[in-house]
Amino acid sequence: MSQIAVRTEALTKTFGEFRAVDSVSLEVAKGEVFGFLGPNGSGKTTTIRMLTGSLLPDAGRALVLGEDIAVNAALIRRRIGYMSQKFSLFEDLTVEENLRFYAGVYDLDGATYSERREYVVEMADLRGREKELTGNLSTGLKQRLALGAATMHEPDLLFLDEPTSGVDPVARRKFWDLLYELSGKGVTLFVTTHYMEEASNCSRLAFMYAGKVIAEGTPRGIRRDLQTRLGLEREPSMEDVFVELVQAQR
Amino acid sequence: MSGKRIRLLMWKEFLQLRRDPLLIRLILLMPVMQLVLFGYVVAADVKNLPTAIVDLDRTSVSRTIGQSFSASDYFKVVAHPASDADLRELIDTGKVAVAVVIEEGTTDRLARGQSAPLGIVVDGSDSSSATAGSGYASQIVASINKQRLTESGMGARLAQAPGLDARVRVLYNPTLASLNTMIPGLVAVILMISLMVVLSQAVVRERESGTLEQMFVTPIQRTEYLIGKVAPYLLLAIAQLMLVAIVGLLWFKVPFHGAPLVALTGVALFMLSAIGLGLLVSLISSTRQQAQQAVLFLMLPFMVLSGFIFPISSMPDAIKPVTYAIPLRYALDVLRGAAVKGAGFADLAVPLLALSGFGIVIFTGAVIATRRKLS
Repeated sequence: MSQIAVRTEALTKTFGEFRAVDSVSLEVAKGEVFGFLGPNGSGKTTTIRMLTGSLLPDAGRALVLGEDIAVNAALIRRRIGYMSQKFSLFEDLTVEENLRFYAGVYDLDGATYSERREYVVEMADLRGREKELTGNLSTGLKQRLALGAATMHEPDLLFLDEPTSGVDPVARRKFWDLLYELSGKGVTLFVTTHYMEEASNCSRLAFMYAGKVIAEGTPRGIRRDLQTRLGLEREPSMEDVFVELVQAQR
Repeated sequence: MSGKRIRLLMWKEFLQLRRDPLLIRLILLMPVMQLVLFGYVVAADVKNLPTAIVDLDRTSVSRTIGQSFSASDYFKVVAHPASDADLRELIDTGKVAVAVVIEEGTTDRLARGQSAPLGIVVDGSDSSSATAGSGYASQIVASINKQRLTESGMGARLAQAPGLDARVRVLYNPTLASLNTMIPGLVAVILMISLMVVLSQAVVRERESGTLEQMFVTPIQRTEYLIGKVAPYLLLAIAQLMLVAIVGLLWFKVPFHGAPLVALTGVALFMLSAIGLGLLVSLISSTRQQAQQAVLFLMLPFMVLSGFIFPISSMPDAIKPVTYAIPLRYALDVLRGAAVKGAGFADLAVPLLALSGFGIVIFTGAVIATRRKLS
């Protein structure tokens, strides 16, 4: 097996006149925490939707876990997890019903379900609240439950599209602890965010702007690059890097 | 396609349905409310029409004519005005909906073997009472004539014989006109409303909340999702349909003269159109409110132009061609035809074919469009 979780080659998607994703080439190694950054409308979500097989590219190619998304989307979907910026579990189902639904979707057997359910309830801090309607949970808890549901089937690769938007800093910190835990188990994480301090949590980053990748590297590497380029005395913050990169494009 | 995943989706759908108290109440209450509304309110206005008898002849024959009207359930004689002028005032004030005017000399003319005109005045501002009133009146007149001729031994030449001439004719179901056609029609209308309203809401809601997006990055396929979505509401619609049919047959005692298979074929074909329209509405709407408005927008012309409430024959000529584009029209033709006239497949070939055409085009279009949109 190759050590590459995601590889895209000149991936392109156009909506009418608008080039949402313009010839994006990326490589994400297995086990990485890959940060996918960029302002709103820069093409992050469209890229993820293509990588998860929800959207077909107009040009270029993408391999996810070694399978071509245009050919084997069904195969890929069994092995990936996805969690979006919007809380997308069924709010009118209980915690347990949501988990049972997703377990059924991935065809987990009874024993595996009980085991995974235990894990998720523990991980999401929902012990004793299994019968509660999901809609009544706090945003932070919902987010963790969504993560749990997206990992019921122990995916090799997890796409997280702005998973922490609208969550308070404490819950966000806790959420990242969970992500590291998953990463420690060998799960590849593909995370979009526009919280710059979160970008530093990633092992590697790519900056998107107007459908193109405008910078790529480790957080440290990107910061140093900018430092040398602008001749700064101190290493710039992630925030500075973001502003600098975007302004350079305008 | 996996049957297991479809069952899972249906299980989820029923759970959500159970948690939506408004929707479940709506689904259960709607057929009941409509039965009461259409079964009692709309259909009941044809009984006890306030009636005036203007007897200008004042003979025993003319009194018999008057009594025939007061003896019937449909007319309630409330006034005996002495002249046409008095009658006009009664009708203008709405105290009387129907008047029977027996002209002076009626008895003499009948005795001479001539036909005698019988004036039946109906208040046209209430069209349904007017239609029903003139229909019943013609029936009563016919029975008076028949009785008179039998007494004089001329029964065999009934059709040609002179007598009272009311000149009003109503075909089919002249007695309880509204109820017997209303309830079979209601079956189709309830089916349409519940499938369209509920189905359009259900898909839009899932898109609004983002759960749709979530499901499609899992192994759930579009077709599985569609079946899992439609099937629960189809089952509910069938339950509603049976409720209406049972209440209609047993409580309202609506006669069903035809073959159930004919009616069921029509219903099944019509369901395709209703499901298709529901899905299409959910497709063009991005919020639940929009879906609601779109359904209302479609529902009004359907109800008005299908002939469910207003007979197509009385619509203006310019409007009549439009009714051919309303699938509900054909569903009503089939259900009413089967129930009231006992019509079979051969008699109803045209509406059944129209329903198949609409069903196949709308349903296939909706499924293709939905699958495309969902990706």
